[in-house]
Amino acid sequence: MARLVDEMEELRIGVFVCHCGTNIAGFLDPREVAEYAGTLPDVVFVKENLFSCSQSGVTEIQNAIKENQLNRVVVAACTPRTHEPTFRAACEDAGLNPFFFEFVNIREHCSWVHKGMAEEATHKAKDLVRMGVARARYLEPREPIVADVEPAALVIGGGVSGLTAALSLANRGIEVKLVEREEELGGMLRRIFRLYPSNIDAREFIARQVEAVEGHPRIEVFTCSTVEGLQGYIGNYRATISSQGVNKREVHVGVIIVATGAAQLDLGEVYGYDGKRVITLIELEERLRNGELGAKNVVMIKCVGARVPERLYCSRICCMTSIKNAILIKEKDPEARVHILYRDLMCYGVDNEALLRKAKESGVRFINYSLERPPIMENGRVRVHSDILGKEIGINADLVVLVTPMVSQDGVEELSRLLKVPLDGDRFFLEAHVKLRPLDFATDGIYVCGTAHWPASVSESIEQALGATARASTYLINKRVTVEPIFSMLLDEDLCRGCGLCASLCPYAAIEMVQTEKGIKAQMIAVACKGCGTCGASCYRRAIKMNHYTDEQLIAQVRAAFSG
Amino acid sequence: MCSGRVDPTIILEAFLSKADGVFVGACRRGECHYVTGNLQAEGKVNLTKKVLSYIGLHPERLVMEWMSSGEGGRFVECVTSFQEEIRKLGPLGKGEGIGTEELQLKLTAAQRVMEGKKLRWVVSKRLEFKEKGNLYGEVFTEHEISRLFDEVVMDELTLQEILLRLRMEPLSAKTLSGMINIAPSRILRHLADMKRMGLVSVSTEDDGRSPVWKAV
Repeated sequence: MARLVDEMEELRIGVFVCHCGTNIAGFLDPREVAEYAGTLPDVVFVKENLFSCSQSGVTEIQNAIKENQLNRVVVAACTPRTHEPTFRAACEDAGLNPFFFEFVNIREHCSWVHKGMAEEATHKAKDLVRMGVARARYLEPREPIVADVEPAALVIGGGVSGLTAALSLANRGIEVKLVEREEELGGMLRRIFRLYPSNIDAREFIARQVEAVEGHPRIEVFTCSTVEGLQGYIGNYRATISSQGVNKREVHVGVIIVATGAAQLDLGEVYGYDGKRVITLIELEERLRNGELGAKNVVMIKCVGARVPERLYCSRICCMTSIKNAILIKEKDPEARVHILYRDLMCYGVDNEALLRKAKESGVRFINYSLERPPIMENGRVRVHSDILGKEIGINADLVVLVTPMVSQDGVEELSRLLKVPLDGDRFFLEAHVKLRPLDFATDGIYVCGTAHWPASVSESIEQALGATARASTYLINKRVTVEPIFSMLLDEDLCRGCGLCASLCPYAAIEMVQTEKGIKAQMIAVACKGCGTCGASCYRRAIKMNHYTDEQLIAQVRAAFSG
Repeated sequence: MCSGRVDPTIILEAFLSKADGVFVGACRRGECHYVTGNLQAEGKVNLTKKVLSYIGLHPERLVMEWMSSGEGGRFVECVTSFQEEIRKLGPLGKGEGIGTEELQLKLTAAQRVMEGKKLRWVVSKRLEFKEKGNLYGEVFTEHEISRLFDEVVMDELTLQEILLRLRMEPLSAKTLSGMINIAPSRILRHLADMKRMGLVSVSTEDDGRSPVWKAV
């Protein structure tokens, strides 16, 4: 247990200025910053480190804490995203509560963005340090919150991603509730013929997965069902599953995996779509499965409705799906003429590039067109302006395949609101961080995988499903979760009038209005609170305190910003 | 920290500390890391801009921009145009032709207004009023809410400013009217309300004709 500093104890602040090799020291003067820090009130120790995060840097900080009885530590270095845990742990090891540590970013926020302006950058670094020291004076000790985790998972969506996630978790001994809104499990793959690049039969593959899920003793399947209600927080979610709109059941789970998949864009009658001579990619898959192509001259038009102003993203899988289908057509009927009209080709990866070569070798013709001059349909012909040849070409076509992008599913807005997880501008689910937390949502205990996330191939969907279950398992297997103790709390019960404003604003349902001896009062559920602070910024009674971002801390920082 | 944590009183603290401009960066609409915090911030920032313009400051000194944490380029563009805009406006107060003391008084009044129950309640309920309606099921448009804010802001600001000025010295309604630039009849209405609330009283030092008011 780290030492708590007595409120009456005098402030002893230590400031460490990191050179980060030349990342900081190359663009501003850390010595001047350190000297300045020494002049700030209650700063009793200052040191420069070549690398504060290195073993020697951490040791220097720890020794300074012990030798100088420091009770606040300010490190002016890089970003809390990567190094806050390092310095907090260093403080804790030296006997100081980790929340007495304050990070000042003089690299990303200063040296890196003011290269060639050493004087101004040094001046700004001093401002930032002064602000950090001002806030550090008001820091308070906090203890981590540890909560139990229900070893069960809710998987939403019974396609390849959801099935993979459910099996992976169940095989680790976790109870799984799998919710699918359609009558049957299997999702999109039931409508696909063969998968690239392995060329295996999609329906056989998914049928094996479905069988394994349905026969698994630890997986309970809810078809024709949706999730209608959700309460709780990581480790203790209570979800209401509604089957056929009538039967409702509450399940208790520790984590939730969102695997709701995507749909094929339906554009209606563009390019003369009729479902017979002009069809969609999925309709082509069905024809190939049935062996009824019914055409000798096939033209595939790619990026129909994709990478256009109203839908800027690339759907990623359509290039390979059409190339795979072109090869299947040529293998069955080498005399067939297949043209692929494309804007760009997305054939990333060794296997995919090999398939593209194979398609070219087998005689599939690729013609590049531009968004400004899309192909034109004529009776039995397609006219297209080739950007490479610089002229218009006419192609005989007795079957035209429109390759439209994957779009997000119906009902994602409702699910997003229910789970309190965000969607991006294209209505795909948005992860917590594209690089650092690609399968997590910002809400702890909820994960995303597969095409609910963005257009992905089957192998990518499986990788994501396994990744998401691995992330979820860290909590499910430990059965305990440590939550960052940055949560709001009722500062003074007497101040609270029980108006319920905070509870109505809380995006995480982390505030409940409860009857107490003193009347109705707000009660915060610390583990459910994500620390956004909206309640604190709104309470007209100032009865709410946002821990670690208190009014005192923020005001001290704001005032210090302009007091230099 | 979510933009939802941005309390208007802290924005005004920055102006009181002589900031020439305040920039609030929030997640894009519908992409908030904390679900709806950015929309709460939007309401609070817009209201604060209104308050700034009522006290005679350029509302452009307060800027809110939408961006994702992955959009470094956009952040740079926004901050660059922000600082160019603020440079054009000049130092706080000077750019508006308001003296230092007057500025402190007006900003203090503004901070008290944003501290007050009425505005904190209404601005936080704004989204609910727009989507679900109030207690009686009346749904408000953005325009109606904006008008509601106008009324409340003006009333509250006048009240706070009267109170601050009367704390310094007892004054007549007519003198207050000249200082605050509001018709004497309206000042008088405020004074009467404030008297009922026990905030002001008629001073004994009156000259017999027009009463002089003081803060209680």
